[in-house]
Amino acid sequence: MQRGTYGMPPANSPPLHHPVPQHISQVPNLRSPPPPASQNGGYGQQSPPQGQQAQNPYMAQFGGFMTDPTAQMGLQMGQSAMKVGQDYVEQNFNRYVNVSALKHYFNVSNSYVTHKLLLVLFPWRHRPWSRQQTHSSDPSARGTEFLPPREDVNSPDMYIPLMAFVTYVLLTTLIAGLNGKFEPQLLGMTFSNASVVIVLELLVLWLGRYFLNISSESQIYDLVAYSGYKFVGVIVTIAVAASINRGKGTGGWVGWGVFAYTFMANAFFLLRSLKYVLLPSDNAPGNPGVQIIARGQRSRRTQFLFVYSYVVQFAFMWWLTALNFTTGVPGKAKSGR
Amino acid sequence: MASLFFPNFGGLFQASILVVNAIAILSEDRFLARIGWGTSQQSEPSFGGGMQDNTSVKAKMINLISSVRTLMRIPLIFLNLLIIVWAIAFG
Repeated sequence: MQRGTYGMPPANSPPLHHPVPQHISQVPNLRSPPPPASQNGGYGQQSPPQGQQAQNPYMAQFGGFMTDPTAQMGLQMGQSAMKVGQDYVEQNFNRYVNVSALKHYFNVSNSYVTHKLLLVLFPWRHRPWSRQQTHSSDPSARGTEFLPPREDVNSPDMYIPLMAFVTYVLLTTLIAGLNGKFEPQLLGMTFSNASVVIVLELLVLWLGRYFLNISSESQIYDLVAYSGYKFVGVIVTIAVAASINRGKGTGGWVGWGVFAYTFMANAFFLLRSLKYVLLPSDNAPGNPGVQIIARGQRSRRTQFLFVYSYVVQFAFMWWLTALNFTTGVPGKAKSGR
Repeated sequence: MASLFFPNFGGLFQASILVVNAIAILSEDRFLARIGWGTSQQSEPSFGGGMQDNTSVKAKMINLISSVRTLMRIPLIFLNLLIIVWAIAFG
C-alpha cells in the first residue's frame, strides 16, 4: 500500500468524502493525469473500495493528497509541462497552417451561403465576377485586402466546401443504407475516398502553383476553397440519381444528365472565378500587391486554368459520383480486409 | 492492402511511394544528362552572372527532379522497408 511511504496515517477522512479541487484550471477529465505524480495509480485503486461515490477517481485523489506538499509540487510540474507542450504545439501548428487567414474563409452569413449555392448550380446569369477589395484598409498592410465572404458573393469560402464534403460522405452512406447495404465501415471508406480526392486535388494545385509561380499564400487557400465546390454538384447528382434510379447507382440517362449539367456549371463557375485569381490583369493601377505576369506565363496560366477546370474536375467528379456501392462493397469485402 | 483502386489512405500511400521511387531512381549521368535534363547543364554558359533560367517549366521540372532525388533518397529507404515489412506480415 502506498500510503505507508508517507509515514503518517491519513486520519482525516472528511476531505476524502468531499473532494474539493483547490486549483481551478486542473487536468481536465479528458486527459490522463500528470505523469510525475505516480501516486495516482495507487490512490485510484484505493478510492473505489472505500465506497467513494465521487464522480470519478481523480476528484477523490485530488481531495486525498492535496494537502501533501510533494504531491502539490508534482501537480504544478505536470501543469507547467502540459502548458509548455500546448504552447509548443500551437506554435508549430501556426507555422504550418495560417489560422488567421483561415478565419477569413469562415466568415459567412446565411444569405451568402444560399446565394453562393445558387451560384454554383446556376452560374450563367451572374454578371460581375470580380472580388471586391476594401479601400478602407491602410495601403501599408498587405496590398490588396479582399472583402470577407459575408459582404461579397464572389469571395471564396471554406464553409460550403467543408459542409458539402461531410454531406457527401453522409449522403452516400445513407443511400447505401437505403439499399440495405450499409456497413459501418462504409462511412470510413467513403470518407477516405473523398479525402483521397481532396489530397490529389491539393497535389494538382500544388504542382500548378509550383510550375506557374503563384506565390502569395492567400492564393493557394483560394484555390483549395474553389476546389471544394465540386462537392455541391456531386451531392446534387447523387441525390437526384438516387431518388430517380431507386438507388441503383448513378447510371442511366437521368443520372449522367444531371452529372453533365452540374459538371458544366461547376466548370463555368471555376473558369469565371479563377480568372481573377490566376490572371489579375486590369486592376486598379498603383496596386502594390499584384505582380505583373509575363506574357508567356499568362498563356501558360490560361492553359492550366482550362485544363484544370475541365479535365481535372471532370475526372474527380466522375470518380466521386461513380462509386455506386452496389458493386463496390462486395468487391471490397472479398479483397480480404 | 487494396491496391487496385485506392479509396483509402494505404493505397494512396503506396502509390505515392511508388511514384517517388520512380523519380528517385533516375540516374543522373546515364539518363538525365543524355536527354539534356541534367543539373549541371543548366547554368553552364553563365558562370559569373548567376542568371539561371529558373522560371520555365523545363527548368522547374529539372529542379524538382533533382531535389526529390537528393532529399528523398534516405527517407525512401525507410519507407520502402516499412512497406516491405507490412506486405510480408499482412499480405
